[in-house]
Amino acid sequence: MQKIQSKLLIIFSILFFLSGCEEFKDIDKDVFVSMIGIDHSDDNEKPFKVTLKLFVPTSSFRQKPEANYTYLVETAETISEAIRILETHIDKELDFGHLKLIVLGEELVKENKNKEVLDFLLRRPDIQLISWVTVGRPNAEEIVTMVPKGETAAYPSLYNYFDGNGTESPYIVTMFLFDYRRRMMENGLDPIIPIVEISENESTFTVNKSIVLKNRKTPYELDPLNTFIFNSLSMNVKIADIEVKQGNEHFVAKIDTIKAKNKVKKQGNNKFSLDVNVELIGYIVESQNALNSRDLPKYSKLLEKEAKENLESFFHELQSEGLDPIGFGLKYKAQTFHHKRMSIEEWNETYKNAEVNIKVTASLKSTGSIQ
Amino acid sequence: MNTQETLLWINEQFANTNELTQKTLEYESKNISYMYIKSLIDKELLQKILLKPFFEMSNMDQYKLYVQALPQYQEISSKEQALLEIMNGNILLEIDNELLLIELKLSKNDAVSSASVEMTIHGSQLALSDNLMTNINLIRSYYRQPTLNIEYMSYGEVNQQKVALVYDSEKVNEQALKLIREKIQRVDKQLISAANQFNNYLNDKRFSLFPQMVMTERPDRVIYNIGGGKIIILEDGSSQSLAAPVVFFDFMITMEDDYHTIVISTFLRMLRYLGFFISLLLPSIYVGVTSFAPEVFRTELALTVAGSRMGVPFSSFVEVLFMLFFMELLLEASIRLPKAVSATATTVGGLILGTAVTEASLASNIMVIIVSAVAISTFVIPVNEMAFAIRIVRFLLILITTIFGLAGLTLGFLVFIMYLVSLDSFGEPYLRVYNYRKSKKRSEGQA
Amino acid sequence: MSRYFYYIILINMVANIIASVPYILLHFYNDGSISAMIIATITGTIIITVYAKFFIQFPGQTLPDLLKQTTAKWFYAPLIFIMAVVWFFAGMITLITFTFLLIRYLTPEMPIVLISLSIILSVILGCFIKTDRVLYTIEIVLLLTLPLIIYIFLKAYTDPNINWDFVKEAALYINQMPNFESFTASFYLFLGVANLFIFNRFFTIKQKFGWKQIITIFLITVSTLFTTYFVPIGFHGTENIDHLIYPWIQTSDSLRMKYSLIERVLFVFLLFYLCIAFLSMLIHWHVSVEYLKYLFTFEKIKYRGFNLGIFIPPTLFTLISTYFVQVINEYHLFRLSSFLNITLSVFFPFMIIVFFYIKRRMKYAKNTK
Repeated sequence: MQKIQSKLLIIFSILFFLSGCEEFKDIDKDVFVSMIGIDHSDDNEKPFKVTLKLFVPTSSFRQKPEANYTYLVETAETISEAIRILETHIDKELDFGHLKLIVLGEELVKENKNKEVLDFLLRRPDIQLISWVTVGRPNAEEIVTMVPKGETAAYPSLYNYFDGNGTESPYIVTMFLFDYRRRMMENGLDPIIPIVEISENESTFTVNKSIVLKNRKTPYELDPLNTFIFNSLSMNVKIADIEVKQGNEHFVAKIDTIKAKNKVKKQGNNKFSLDVNVELIGYIVESQNALNSRDLPKYSKLLEKEAKENLESFFHELQSEGLDPIGFGLKYKAQTFHHKRMSIEEWNETYKNAEVNIKVTASLKSTGSIQ
Repeated sequence: MNTQETLLWINEQFANTNELTQKTLEYESKNISYMYIKSLIDKELLQKILLKPFFEMSNMDQYKLYVQALPQYQEISSKEQALLEIMNGNILLEIDNELLLIELKLSKNDAVSSASVEMTIHGSQLALSDNLMTNINLIRSYYRQPTLNIEYMSYGEVNQQKVALVYDSEKVNEQALKLIREKIQRVDKQLISAANQFNNYLNDKRFSLFPQMVMTERPDRVIYNIGGGKIIILEDGSSQSLAAPVVFFDFMITMEDDYHTIVISTFLRMLRYLGFFISLLLPSIYVGVTSFAPEVFRTELALTVAGSRMGVPFSSFVEVLFMLFFMELLLEASIRLPKAVSATATTVGGLILGTAVTEASLASNIMVIIVSAVAISTFVIPVNEMAFAIRIVRFLLILITTIFGLAGLTLGFLVFIMYLVSLDSFGEPYLRVYNYRKSKKRSEGQA
Repeated sequence: MSRYFYYIILINMVANIIASVPYILLHFYNDGSISAMIIATITGTIIITVYAKFFIQFPGQTLPDLLKQTTAKWFYAPLIFIMAVVWFFAGMITLITFTFLLIRYLTPEMPIVLISLSIILSVILGCFIKTDRVLYTIEIVLLLTLPLIIYIFLKAYTDPNINWDFVKEAALYINQMPNFESFTASFYLFLGVANLFIFNRFFTIKQKFGWKQIITIFLITVSTLFTTYFVPIGFHGTENIDHLIYPWIQTSDSLRMKYSLIERVLFVFLLFYLCIAFLSMLIHWHVSVEYLKYLFTFEKIKYRGFNLGIFIPPTLFTLISTYFVQVINEYHLFRLSSFLNITLSVFFPFMIIVFFYIKRRMKYAKNTK
């Protein structure tokens, strides 16, 4: 038996050695795409403008630490066609396996091409579902082609904004492709995408705003404060600075624990309320006036008041615009049997008119190192 | 049997040599004659226990009784036996027309040497000697059980080497013992010089990659194996012993595992298995990832690999084979060379493989790291024969990966496991998960 | 019960996560999948119990052995042949599914025949080894792969991005009439026990099968089904989830190992699941070859003293599956596996009648002796 096995193995391996070797392709014959920017072009025939940022491998990162990229730009009728044309512009094979950042041009988002773009991104099996989706302002191309100062090779600094290893600012919304997809599909959870801008001195990026797609189509911009509130309510952000300006007191609280609970509560027939419970724990890092540790409960109250005001205005904005990035619609569905659920339009109405109960519990533990 | 005839016959057998010494002693009323092979005999002993008493004793009867009481005394059953024993270092004594055999063998090889192949830090430093009786003496004195059984036999048509099967008759795996006896009967070789040869002679398959017996020079390992129900094959003139039946895991233990605390030995064992997997899979993973699926590794690493491969003229698998080939050459060279030269070989090899190859960009930096990692982790495998087998399997896996990619590597590895599982070592499955607590009562049968 | 018994059940359950089962279940998420899964769990546990209880009465005997002893040739020959074909197809579907996965995600440039052949060849070698060795292989490969696969599942459960509201939303479709296709798909998870038809040969010592075993199996299946169905929903929502062709692959691609050497879980998942798929195929095809050995004596076919006969089934398997790999597309594959699920969930309960018949005949035979 053993003998036959080995003979079989030998025969087959010879057979496949003869037929199989042409699939071989070395890593240095591939070129990795690090970012893709998709813009809307003015040309009606060719609505998509695709920008690719390619890593240029260097033989030693230690000898040549500064970043080095190649860019490819092409306009075409579809995204795939653009990429097909781009493949003829470079001597190596384009590899999308390391593509981690997708930049959608602001125009493109406004032009409502999101469905087509999403379809392209999902249909290609080599694009990671854990790549980040962003909106580029003023357009994707500028964001993709910009290399900030001090960027190291092999890891674009824009990645650091989203990967949770570099900066962990509460103003940055991290939107993975699969999250974006489910939000684009689901009715009770609106898509929200961070906006990437080039800062005024043109040397770094600024990421502190975001766009919510109303009814998964019309973009609505959230300002930094609202983006921050959204993040702390639903994106597991734990650390934040909150500026409190109440009466005479003006101080900044550093929050190191944020616990947020969002609920939809049924209040009688077809009346719902949105319950938001927020717990903030932190300490004071900056103040205009001298502080007294004995007054910490008072400062906590002030913080609660400040936070509540901010939350109220945030929810007011969301409700009046009919935006639901936090997913109250989904929460409603998650507690109602499918045959008892109201239609989407009905729910949208209900959501807009729902009462919002906000409860903030703040506890400041310290006034910092000084009083 | 006629004494004179026997003596004459023996004389005839040695007619062509002058090795055989024959002497007759006559003193007062006493007379004896004896014959022996000069080079095999301990002459001091001969003088002390045979010749001196002969001149001191008063009569022949007393002398005869004295000789028969000697521990070295042996009876004669046939003339062939007498001949064989003479060649084994006995002296043939004729007293009163009666033949007596006294063993006066001079052994220059019975010193217990220190371990040179399987070294340990904490364990015993002794190794088996080249002398069978010394070895059995060692084993007996370490394994104090009346059930310890030793079967002697001699093999090799020409050199008639003494072979011993050692086992504990209570613990031994009966089925394996029967198989070994059967197979050992069939061994038909002219010359057997070392116990290791039985590893091949007792194996029915022509091409077999994995050792069917575990070779050891350490008495403590021999004892450990006897206690585990294994059968030990010892041979005169060989300082290595063989133990069978074995399972794969026997090749991954060192004797030191039992000398450490549990945490430490578990850590060491994990380290060893990790080394095993690294030495087996790392080069193939490199080929698979760089040539078939560059998107597997995280971006930074992929770029580092791609960057370091810049300017390398070969495909990744040629690069791997090239470097591994030189590593194997270096290994082989440093074993054979005398100690004084081998240091030079390693230095030259290390320089070439390490620095010059990357400087000349014949191989990537990462490749050099991989090759050295593989070399180091191969040394972690405690039993040499397994390490040799792994080195060959490694090349096979590289070949498969070159054709089928990473998926092929996974499947190749699975086939490798399946092959090991399908192997037998004297009736025992080579690789399976044993439940040592329940090893006596099996909850299921065997198909 | 011996631990090997659990392996053959477990493999069938775990292997189906990459096959069509989650696709079919998620396809009918708003049309009775959940109630179908509940019913399948109950009937599945019952069928495992019945099968196990039946086979522990005849230690060391395979189903073909029993059939030969108790039934006529016109009955058992076609039955065994049909079973051989069914088992072959079950293995082949796993093969095709995985070939598609590999070509889609790992090596898109490789010819499909080469990929499928690499799998077939490695599995075919397993058709030559003995039944007990198949089980030992399974144990060792499971020991190497299962910890990591369980780690991936745990990682999925603890990922901050899994949205439990989706899970709750989907769970609230519980009050629907069960869907037949979903039922057959989830019932298929339990049919690993049918491999006892051959693997009972290994259990020569009488086993125990009581409440403890039933509860263990029940718990394992419930957690497997729950993971299979709800984790993809937690990551991808319910709306349009049927657009995802390989829900679990896409779910594993949604996981990220931030600090690991391999950042995308997808590849780890794919390669480790290849091992599970390999085991699943190994079991199926081993059983299939063993059935064929009962029907035909392949050893008799010789060519110049060289035993050609034993090469016939593997060659046939290779040829048929390479043919199917080339002609089939994803849609066909799902129809085919759907069809197989339906056939099996009718066929295996029917086998219980055969069991009763065998049991009576065996009793009768014993009494007359």
